[in-house]
Amino acid sequence: MRSFRSLSARLTVQFALLFAAAMLMVSATLSTFIAGTASREVEGQLQSSGAVYDRLWQQRAHELQNAAQLLARDFGFRAAVATGDHATIQSALTNAAARLRVGSAFIVTADGQVTAIDPSVSAKEMQQLWEPLDEGRLTGVSVLAGRPRQLVAAPIMAPTLIGWVVFAGDLDEREMRGLERLSAIPLHAAVLAQSGGRWSEAAGSMSPLSDQSDALAERHMRSGAAFEMKVAGEKSIALAKSLPTFSQGERAILLLAYPRSEALADARKLQLGLALMTLLGLVLMSYATWRAAGRITQPLARLDDAAGRLAAGEQVQVRVRGRDELARLANSFNEMVGKIVEREKRITQLAFNDVLTGLPNRTMFHQHVEQLFQACDGSGGLFALHCLDLDQFKAINDTLGHPAGDALLVETARRLRQAAPGHFVGRLGGDEFVVLQSVGEDRDAVDRLARDILGAIAQPFSIDGNELVPSTSLGIAIAPDDGADGETILRNADLALYRAKEAGRGTYAFFEESLNERAQERRKLESDLRLALERGEFELYYQPLFDLDQNRICSFEALIRWNHPERGLVSPLDFVPIAEDTGLIVPIGAWVIREACAQAASWPEDVRIAVNVSPVQFRRGALNETIVQSLAASGLKPHRFEVEITESIFLEGSDTTLKLLHGLRSLGVRIALDDFGTGYSSLSYLQSFPFDKLKIDRSFIHNLLTRDGASAIVRAITELAHALNIETTAEGVEETAQLMELRAHGCSSVQGFLFSEPMTVTDVHRLFNDGGAIQKVA
Amino acid sequence: MVRGLIAFAAGIALSAPLAAAPLTVRVMDASGKPVRDAVVSLYPSSGARAPRGGGHYVVSQQNIQFHPFLSIVPVGADVSFPNLDNTKHHVYSFSAAKRFELKLFAKDQSRTVHFDKPGVVALGCNIHDQMSAFIVADSAWTGRTNGQGIATFGDAPNATARVSVWHPYLRAPSGTVEQRIAAGQRATSFSIRLRPPPPAMSMDY
Repeated sequence: MRSFRSLSARLTVQFALLFAAAMLMVSATLSTFIAGTASREVEGQLQSSGAVYDRLWQQRAHELQNAAQLLARDFGFRAAVATGDHATIQSALTNAAARLRVGSAFIVTADGQVTAIDPSVSAKEMQQLWEPLDEGRLTGVSVLAGRPRQLVAAPIMAPTLIGWVVFAGDLDEREMRGLERLSAIPLHAAVLAQSGGRWSEAAGSMSPLSDQSDALAERHMRSGAAFEMKVAGEKSIALAKSLPTFSQGERAILLLAYPRSEALADARKLQLGLALMTLLGLVLMSYATWRAAGRITQPLARLDDAAGRLAAGEQVQVRVRGRDELARLANSFNEMVGKIVEREKRITQLAFNDVLTGLPNRTMFHQHVEQLFQACDGSGGLFALHCLDLDQFKAINDTLGHPAGDALLVETARRLRQAAPGHFVGRLGGDEFVVLQSVGEDRDAVDRLARDILGAIAQPFSIDGNELVPSTSLGIAIAPDDGADGETILRNADLALYRAKEAGRGTYAFFEESLNERAQERRKLESDLRLALERGEFELYYQPLFDLDQNRICSFEALIRWNHPERGLVSPLDFVPIAEDTGLIVPIGAWVIREACAQAASWPEDVRIAVNVSPVQFRRGALNETIVQSLAASGLKPHRFEVEITESIFLEGSDTTLKLLHGLRSLGVRIALDDFGTGYSSLSYLQSFPFDKLKIDRSFIHNLLTRDGASAIVRAITELAHALNIETTAEGVEETAQLMELRAHGCSSVQGFLFSEPMTVTDVHRLFNDGGAIQKVA
Repeated sequence: MVRGLIAFAAGIALSAPLAAAPLTVRVMDASGKPVRDAVVSLYPSSGARAPRGGGHYVVSQQNIQFHPFLSIVPVGADVSFPNLDNTKHHVYSFSAAKRFELKLFAKDQSRTVHFDKPGVVALGCNIHDQMSAFIVADSAWTGRTNGQGIATFGDAPNATARVSVWHPYLRAPSGTVEQRIAAGQRATSFSIRLRPPPPAMSMDY
């Protein structure tokens, strides 16, 4: 079987074929039955027509015989015959023939003489009848003058047999047509007679007959059944009946024929009707099958279509009708689609969203930025990229643990979404967040949003009972002015973020082109810095601290200098932040400690060395080990080694910091709090840790003589320190008046250009060797 | 003229040699049964004798029948036809030997017909078709077969002869068959075909 592209076509064709076969079989059977019935009916009609003809034949024979007997019995006629009175005989015969409407009448005498009225019949033919007459034959068909005739005879007794009177009724066309008219059906009748081996016929409407039909009729005569034959070129159903013949050697057949087309006309109508019904049934069945197949296959086709569209990425649902298997299939399909869509969403979410906060991730950010670029390409619209990270996030993560850090990130994400509703908020990784803001005419909106974000982030947040106040810095770049693609704009926003951090945390900054240049410079510096330690480009300078009570140099603060081969001397302000950011501060810091210890070991016993320690070193520098090793290597007494820290180390968790500080303290090392008075200047630190020294920030000293409050603050600090038994050092003393004021406030020691700039190690040695040079100044 | 003929015949008969033994003629039908009332006539080539002459015969009509059915009379015989029935009879003959009609309309009425020619005369009644009788007038040796179908001629001349058999129902033209017998042959037989006798009522009205 050929293959179909459509299931419904296949079902339709298969069922239609099946049904057609069944219907055709039924139709064929019925048709055959109809034809058979019609044939039998025709045969029956032919038979009954034959019977009617028999009856007619007998009646006619009877009529003629009666007449013949009447004539034969007439005394005068007998006398005429007996005496051979031909004239009388002929007139009597003529009279009787006319009355009986027979064509021929004649006398055959017992001794074979003939008297006839019809000259067409030869005497010989009539004389030949003597034998059958003599045998007692009185009726039958015989051929006379080439025509079959119905012969009826009556003996003439006078009183013995003297002859026979014979009437020969014509079996001509008129007779046959009369017979045809008598029949209930429009049949054709003919009488065939054979005499002396030759057939002659008398037919009504049937002529001409052929030789074959004679033979055929004779063949079927004995069976008495109907048969088929051609009559006048037309197929007919025929019946042959034997007719009694007059002579022994003759044969006579009554042939009744019924043209097949007429006979089966009704049957043909029925068959035609049946064929039409079959055809109609077939058409109806095909239609019904097609419809039914459609009902089955339509949902399948819909599913097929839906599956195709699903494959193309469309979210589709098929209509469910009914509760059958197809409906269940459709339901399952719909459910499957739902799950696929859900999974796709999940995959998309995983691909484009940050799992922790649910915010869009870097990939999605880039896509979004690209879209914004395309959108603002023609319209000339702007958008601002706010880039932010959490200040001190790493410290929080390290000290409070990752769960706490994650909680902070989640909270930050929530706050950002709240603060920047309607804007794209994403997390690029770590504590790095971005907000994309479409900017219209109102450029101030950018500032407003930045402030809103900063304000929102800076709300207190409690993690595991620890309350902390997150802070963030914001860098802003405005596209397309500050960058024509996503990478650039993000980098520039990042630069702005650095600037904001430099400007003091908790602020925001816009990108400027200079930032970019600085960034490039910084990158250069960074790569140089990595080589600087190996190349020995660092050098320690020492700035003396002058003890006001003892009027002598009591300590040196080690200050690092970078002798850059191209730039010359690079300020620590320029490279220390880079070293801190890159982690290079750890080896550099360790070198500083070793170098300082080594130098200080050769100094007088009452002179200490102070080294600044970065929070980065504190956090991950194995600071204790470094110090222990350096002290051991140099032989410097621990109490001569002073670590200067800033308050910022407390930002990364006071408990950890305190542990570290106590650890250092246990070595015997002194600890000073640098830049006191700026930043948080939380008094709680002073309470929680027994610092050896507070270094009053140079800004207070600078303003000491010019601003009213400064003097009071310095005094308050010194008094507080005294009360806590902590030494104080004033930084940045440049004028004698400041010195005087500080001395009045009871400050322990001073440091600044008034006494000495930072000096090389050679100068320090020279100073010790010369002795008392600075004392003079004080 | 008839008389002359008879006289001539008588003369021939007288001159014929006398027969030594009787001539026996047997008549049977197709199935071999003896046929009675067949009229056998002998015509010897020589030795003819004078026929019998005259005589009176009666064929009566009684119970709507002729009696006797078959009469053999010599030429010149007179046959009377008495009507013994209460009905009328119309006796006729169309036979060439003797044609006549007798309307015997009263009981005991009788007519006489003179049979002057040899031959078979078939009698009928125009009123009663079933009535039939035959009178055979012959002057030569003529006899009828008995119940055994045998006719015997004691004085037949011992010469070649023509033997004819006639029977009213014999199926042959003129109802006669003939044989020739050789001189000295004293017996012969005929096998004849007979028609069934006409039914009593031949008309089935």
